[in-house]
Amino acid sequence: MHPPAPVAEAAAPAVDPGFDPTLTGAAAAAAASLLSACGGGGSAAAPAPGPAPASPPPIGDADAARFLAQAGFSASAADIATVKANGYAAWLDAQFAMPVANGHFDWMVANGYAVDAHRNDFGGADNTLWRKLMSAPDSLRQRVVLALSEIFVISMAGLPVSWRGFAVAAYVDMLEQRAFGTYRELLEAVSLSCGMGAYLNMRGNQKGDPKTGRQPDENYAREVLQLLSIGLYQLNADGTPKLDASGKPQETYSQTDITNLAQILTGWDFDGASTTDPSFMKKPMVNNAARFTPGAKKVLNVDVPATADGPAALKIVLDTLAGHANVGPFLGRQLIQRLVASNPSPAYVARVAAVWADNGAGVRGDLKAVIKAVLLDAEARTASSAPGAGKLREPLQRFIQWGRTFGVASPGGQWPIGDTSSAASRLGQSPLRSPTVFNFFRPGYVPPNSVLGTNAVTAPEFQLCNESTVAGYLNFLQGAIANGIGDVKPVYTAELALSGDATGLVADLALRLGGGGISAATQATIATAVATISASTDAGKLNRVQAAILMLMACPEYQVQK
Amino acid sequence: MKINRLPELQRREFLRRSSALGLAGVAAPWALSLAGIGEAAAATAPGDYKALVCVFLYGGNDYGNTLVPYDQPSYAAYAAIRQALATPQAQLAATALTTAQNLGGRQMALAPQLGKLKSLWDAGKLGVQLNVGTLIQPTTLRQYNDKSVPLPPKLFSHNDQQSVWQSSSPEGATTGWGGRMGDLFLGANGTSTFTCINASGNAVFMSGQQAVQYQVSTSGAVPINAITKPLYGSQACADALRGLITAAGRSHWMEAELNRVVTRSVAAQSTVGSALAALPPLATAFDTTSSLSNQLLMVAKLIAARQALGATRQVFFVSIGGFDLHDFLVAQHPGLLTAVDSALASFHAATVELGVDSQVTTFTASDFGRTLASNGDGADHGWGSHHFVLGGAVKGGQYWGTLPSVSVNGPDDVGQGRLLPTTGVDQLAATLATWMGVSATDLPRVLPQIVNYGRRDMAYF
Repeated sequence: MHPPAPVAEAAAPAVDPGFDPTLTGAAAAAAASLLSACGGGGSAAAPAPGPAPASPPPIGDADAARFLAQAGFSASAADIATVKANGYAAWLDAQFAMPVANGHFDWMVANGYAVDAHRNDFGGADNTLWRKLMSAPDSLRQRVVLALSEIFVISMAGLPVSWRGFAVAAYVDMLEQRAFGTYRELLEAVSLSCGMGAYLNMRGNQKGDPKTGRQPDENYAREVLQLLSIGLYQLNADGTPKLDASGKPQETYSQTDITNLAQILTGWDFDGASTTDPSFMKKPMVNNAARFTPGAKKVLNVDVPATADGPAALKIVLDTLAGHANVGPFLGRQLIQRLVASNPSPAYVARVAAVWADNGAGVRGDLKAVIKAVLLDAEARTASSAPGAGKLREPLQRFIQWGRTFGVASPGGQWPIGDTSSAASRLGQSPLRSPTVFNFFRPGYVPPNSVLGTNAVTAPEFQLCNESTVAGYLNFLQGAIANGIGDVKPVYTAELALSGDATGLVADLALRLGGGGISAATQATIATAVATISASTDAGKLNRVQAAILMLMACPEYQVQK
Repeated sequence: MKINRLPELQRREFLRRSSALGLAGVAAPWALSLAGIGEAAAATAPGDYKALVCVFLYGGNDYGNTLVPYDQPSYAAYAAIRQALATPQAQLAATALTTAQNLGGRQMALAPQLGKLKSLWDAGKLGVQLNVGTLIQPTTLRQYNDKSVPLPPKLFSHNDQQSVWQSSSPEGATTGWGGRMGDLFLGANGTSTFTCINASGNAVFMSGQQAVQYQVSTSGAVPINAITKPLYGSQACADALRGLITAAGRSHWMEAELNRVVTRSVAAQSTVGSALAALPPLATAFDTTSSLSNQLLMVAKLIAARQALGATRQVFFVSIGGFDLHDFLVAQHPGLLTAVDSALASFHAATVELGVDSQVTTFTASDFGRTLASNGDGADHGWGSHHFVLGGAVKGGQYWGTLPSVSVNGPDDVGQGRLLPTTGVDQLAATLATWMGVSATDLPRVLPQIVNYGRRDMAYF
């Protein structure tokens, strides 16, 4: 058992309770300076909506590798060549066109996990999640789905239902199917999924009973507002809080709104639950009219008439939330944080939010357009030297990058990597195993007592960075580099061919792993150390490759994606 | 007063810290006051030691099934409100609490799973702080309804109320009252790193203006193999790697912070590793299948190693999750309480074994209480809750604060049995901080809102 993970976190100065510190003047100023710092070509100075400049400069190797690290997990030589030849947008379009294939649910059935022995455990779930994260060809979708799984969180740490592993598998399949659709469709699919229904208890929620005093369950009502749609405070389109006359942020909802919404979100349950067949976990929940709260209701001042049944009432809720002005800046900023940078400038958020509001064809919440806007924005495409730019790569991102870069395979097909949550000996993070619905880290987290705190710079991934995890990661990685994990083994053929030339080996790896972010000085330090290992034997060559990979993936210039 | 009594190195380090604090923009009187406290603590006799241990129950513990109404009228009211969530009265007989206090005819029982805590109550080592929660100032129901006094921000929200409990501010706070207490003790500890130790991850409670939470795993401090042994056979690579990941002065803020954490990890690991290795084994048994027990076992070991770690005042943080029981409350809450019961009892026994039970005080905390009303299979987010204070110095076997009525929409709740706290977290914290040695003058530096309270000592000790 690993320690129960932290839920509490922090962001900026504690002087103004109620104020979202991620959006303080200091943070905005830092972000603005970041923006100006990246304006080498002047493109960043004009925050007009829309993606890249009309005639883009030629794409270099490092530019391509850097893009691929944001849009996917890794950069092969072939990927780099493709991006250089065809451009960023074409690479995204090709990825968008890839089919959703080899789903998690079907894999678990095909691999024998739909048996009674696994009805009350997560057997097969880690296996199939690692399978696709490590090897699925649609790397953009996999990257976005991982990001979505950290915003629309369900977790194996809180699903005490039968066929729980299949609830996870079906949920991630759903995220894959909805990742490039609209937010409105995604929110509906999330809300009616069995996984979310079980995780945040909308499943089984029933109308109140005046006789016994029983009240509807408020869990999903609260978290769908706070985390999955509009957030706590009213936002401007650039993600900064709207302030009232006295300079205070304005809340988006009250406890009364939650109590009202909980009444609306009643009557839902699994569709045909079975102890012998998990396939109901793939189906949206259905509404039982007898358990739905009768009468007229309200959600955020929108009337839900007494004539609306459960599904009709839910439609009003989802339309209201998806239409709320907060959604674009609130969730758009978080997508930027997951893919590109911890501290996007307000102008960058505004550009993404504008695409969220209208994809150019009148469609709101088109996630494909939003993802393009996030990844093609000038602020994403220009490497910045500002001291708060970029993001700490989360542990999963580093490990998946290692696996994909070195072509790991699982000959037995079971991808037995398992739960990597242990902070002391593994990654301190594992897919779909967040400690709570608040994810592994919060969008507004600022490490206390740090230069980041002094400058009010948010750095969410640092919530997982501590004296134990920094050591656990390096030890885990060191073992994986040398031995793989179970039958999941890396292939170093190309690297071994380069191993006689330490400088060349390190340069090649630094490009693919670091995307131009690892300085010549650091590369020289690593190459000099690697060169002390004799390359006259096969063992020596292998040691050179392994040492170079570990040193590169340990160094701070790699761990911070810029 | 007698700062020159400190060993020279310690004195210089202390002055460096004080001046750094001044440079950080804090007013000079604060630094002077810090000097006074640090010295007062340092000037006490050798062997002087105190530790405070926060046991955080993440998710919002259900007060209704933790401390259960037991006398007949109260139990009947409880059972009528809780419906299917109610613990059968017959199961409560063994854990019914007796006290010399006058509760107006009422009697409470601990949950049946808390038998070991019941024994500690009987032994006078454990007491219960009734209906404590986040407040800005004392607040009546009328004031709450009239919104005539300021209320804590984002009531009923997990992450914000966890933060308010730990820091007095919602999500976004960068210091907590454990860490702010730690700021006052840094000067007295030989190694400042070991002032605030978190065995469960990351919590704002443990960060001060200067005090940094040191995060230790349940297996101790983790060495980085790649720099402690030749890396894939190469000492040159291990040395180069050490340089890369511990280099100071990186200009990128995130790179600088990452290296700072690694550097602290490496430095602390060698100290903690040798300190723990030198300890005789603890005889007290802990349930090693329980994360909370393992965390508290590590805390006990670190306390045993306090001299090697150079610590005279320490704040520890451990936690257990899973309390957000909107559903499955009857199925899951008992198991969580069993884990708490076992872990706290073992930990207290370990402090007795180490001869420091009167120098270690442990208390529970949580996001919030839950509703007394049922939603069918669980309860929703509430506010005030009951919490335990445990230790050899504690005058246990009694309640502190005010026992709330058992009702929904009654005199003590803001709806659905969400208790309006009658004791503020600041009052609980002030009592603990005072025991740790924080002076009345310094209390507002640790707990800025304590100035809003007339009563600043709940008399736990």
